[in-house]
Amino acid sequence: MTGAIPSIALVGNPNAGKSSLFNALTGARQKIANYPGVTVERKAGHASFADGRPISLIDLPGTYSLTPASLDEAVTRDVVLGRQDGEKRPDALIVVLDAANLDNHLSFALELLALNLPTVVALNMVDLATRDGLTLDAERLSKELGVPVVPTVAVRKRGMAELLAAVDGAIRSHSAGEVAVPAKANDASLHQRARTLARAAILSETPVRRWTQRVDNVVLHPVAGMIILLALMFVMFQAVYAAAEAPADFLEGGIGVVQQWVVATFPDNFLRGLVVEGLLAGVGAVVVFLPQILILFLFILLLEASGYMTRAAFLMDGLMGKVGLSGRGFIPLLSSFACAVPGIMATRAIPDEKDRLTTILIAPLMTCSARLPVYALIIAAFIPNTNVGGSPVGLQGLVLFGLYLSGIVGALVVAYVLRRTVAKGAGAGFMMEMPRYQMPRWRDIAIGLWQRAWIFLRRAGTIIAMTTVILWLLLTFPQAPEGESQVEYSVAGRIASGLEVVVKPIGFNHDIALALIPAMAAREVAVSAMATANAIDASGDEEAMAQSLGERLQGKWSLATALAFLAWFVFAPQCISTIAITRRETNGWKWPMFMVGYLFLLAYAAAGITYWTAVAFGLG
Amino acid sequence: MTALLENVLDRAPLGVAVRIARIDWTAMSEDEGRRLREFGLMEGCEVTPLHRGSIFSRDPLALIVGRMKVIIRARQAAAIEIEPVA
Repeated sequence: MTGAIPSIALVGNPNAGKSSLFNALTGARQKIANYPGVTVERKAGHASFADGRPISLIDLPGTYSLTPASLDEAVTRDVVLGRQDGEKRPDALIVVLDAANLDNHLSFALELLALNLPTVVALNMVDLATRDGLTLDAERLSKELGVPVVPTVAVRKRGMAELLAAVDGAIRSHSAGEVAVPAKANDASLHQRARTLARAAILSETPVRRWTQRVDNVVLHPVAGMIILLALMFVMFQAVYAAAEAPADFLEGGIGVVQQWVVATFPDNFLRGLVVEGLLAGVGAVVVFLPQILILFLFILLLEASGYMTRAAFLMDGLMGKVGLSGRGFIPLLSSFACAVPGIMATRAIPDEKDRLTTILIAPLMTCSARLPVYALIIAAFIPNTNVGGSPVGLQGLVLFGLYLSGIVGALVVAYVLRRTVAKGAGAGFMMEMPRYQMPRWRDIAIGLWQRAWIFLRRAGTIIAMTTVILWLLLTFPQAPEGESQVEYSVAGRIASGLEVVVKPIGFNHDIALALIPAMAAREVAVSAMATANAIDASGDEEAMAQSLGERLQGKWSLATALAFLAWFVFAPQCISTIAITRRETNGWKWPMFMVGYLFLLAYAAAGITYWTAVAFGLG
Repeated sequence: MTALLENVLDRAPLGVAVRIARIDWTAMSEDEGRRLREFGLMEGCEVTPLHRGSIFSRDPLALIVGRMKVIIRARQAAAIEIEPVA
C-alpha cells in the first residue's frame, strides 16, 4: 500500500440498505457532488480504521449486475472497473447484501467477487431477516465465497467496527494479482450458483411474515390503496400549511426585530437602505418559508424510508402508463414537489430514454417548494382563513391542494401530448423491486433534512441575495423627484412598465411585472422582489411600514389578479437552476428551450383564462 | 404474445403459487429479459402473483419470487408461461 488514503466503495443491489450503511459509517461527514461529465450523484464521505488511519468511502448507485440498464447503474460499473473519469478505482469493495434476500443479491456479489479486488461482504439487515424467520450461517457463507462476511445492522450501527476491521484485513492480505477482466457471465448459471450458496447459508427458514402481506393487501388495493395515497398527499399538503405557521411567524418576527434594530442603530444612508430594504426584506421574505419546505421534505423522506414510495409508484403506474410514462417516473415527480432539480436528476433511474425525456419535461409542473413562498403569500392575503362548510378542512389548504392538483393534471396532459409527438416511442416498461416496510430511522431522516435545509439556505444566501440586491439598486436609481413614486420612476420600474403592456391582458399589474423579471432566477424571488419594492415604496411612511407585505397587496390587487398570478406560477418555468439541469441532463439546449417555451405559453394561457373567468364572475 | 395462451402469468389468479414453465424472451427487449432474470424470474422457479393494477388500469403486476416482491408489467407477464406447482 502507498501512503494514499484508501478508497472503499459500497456496492450492492437496490434496497440492500447501502445508504443506511453509508450513513452509519460516515455520519454527517459526507459530500454530495456529481461525477464529472455525468449528472449521477456522487456520495462520498470519510471514516477511519480503529487505529485512526483515515479512509474515504463512496456510496455507488444500487444495481443488480455489472450490465447497466440506466445511467446511474452505468456509473457503478465504471467505477468498480476503474473506467470512470476522474475517479480512481476503489482499493476495496464492501458488497452490501440484504440478509433476507440472499439468493437474489448473491448473484451480483459473485459477479463483483470475480473482479479480484479486496472485498468484504456486509450481511446487512440481519435483524430484519431474523424478524422474518431466517437464521443465517455467516461463517459458512464466508467459507463458500472466500471473503470475510460480516453481519451488520446499519440502522443500529451494529457490526460497523467489525466491518472496517475486515476491510483493513482484506486490503493488507490482498495479493496484488491480476486485475480481473469481468468475464461475460452467463447469468443463468450465476443465478443458479447464487441460489445454491444461499440455500447452504440458510440454517432455518419460516415462511415470509404475514403482516407485511396484510398491510400490502390494503395499501395496494385497487380502490382502498388509491384512497390512502390521496389521503396521504392531502394530509401532507395540509401539514405544510398548518404545522409551519408558528415557526414561520417566529422567523418573520425575528427578521422584523433585526430590521428595526438596524434602522434604529445606523444613520439613514445608502448602505442601511440596501441592508434593510434589499437584503433583510428580500432574503427574509424567502427564509421564512424554511419550515414549510422542511415539512414537505420530511414527508417525502419518511415515505421513501418506510418503503411506501414504491407502493405509491405501483398504484400510479396504471395512470402514468395511460399517458405513456411509467410508475418509475412517480418518484422523480414526487421529489419535484420539493425541487425539480433533484427530481430531474432522479430520472436517471428511468431506463427508457423517451420515458425519461418526457418525465424531465413535465417535472417543472410539479409544484416545487420555491413556489410555496409565492402561493403562501397570495393565499394568506386573499383567501379567507375559514373552514369549508363547517368541516375541519381549511379553505386555504384546499386552494393550495387545488394548485398542486392543477400542476399534476397539467403534467399528465402534457405528457400525453409529448409521448404522441416529440417524444414518441414504444410503451415504457416498469420493473421494480418492492422494498420491505421499515421503520424510518430518525438519523437518516435528520441527515436528509439537514442537507435540504442547507441547500435552501445557500440558495437564499447566493442567488436570491444577489438578485435582490441588483433589484434594489435598479429600484433605487435614479432618485425620483419629490412627489413621484420611486418604484415607478426607477430603472426597474420603467422596465416593468414595458413588460406590463404584455401581461396586462391577463390581469397583471405593475407590481407583478416588476417581480416577474428577477423571478427568472428563482420563483421565490417574486416574493422578495415585491417585498423590496414595497419596502422602498413604504419607506418613511410609518403606517405602511408596519403592514405586512400580504396586507399591502390586499389593498392594491383585485382577487382576479391574485388568482391569475397563482395560475401563472403553476406553469411558469421561472428557475435558472431547472433550465441548467435540463440542459445538462439532455446534453444540449434543444430540450430546455422547448421546455421554457411551452411552459411560458401554458402559464400565459392559464393566467389569462383564470383572470377572464374571475372577472366574468365579478371578482375583478 | 399469443392470444391463444391462457396459461400465462398475466392470466393467473392472484394469491396462488405457480411455477414458471417457459419464458418467451423474444417478446421483450434484451434489457427487460435480463432484469427479469436479475429478479430471479427464470424457468423452473416458483412465483405468486399478488396484486394487480389500480382503478386506472390492470397494470402493473406485483408478485412474490423467493423472498422478494417485484413489480412487472402485464406485457411481460403475458410472455411467461406457467404451470401448476406439483
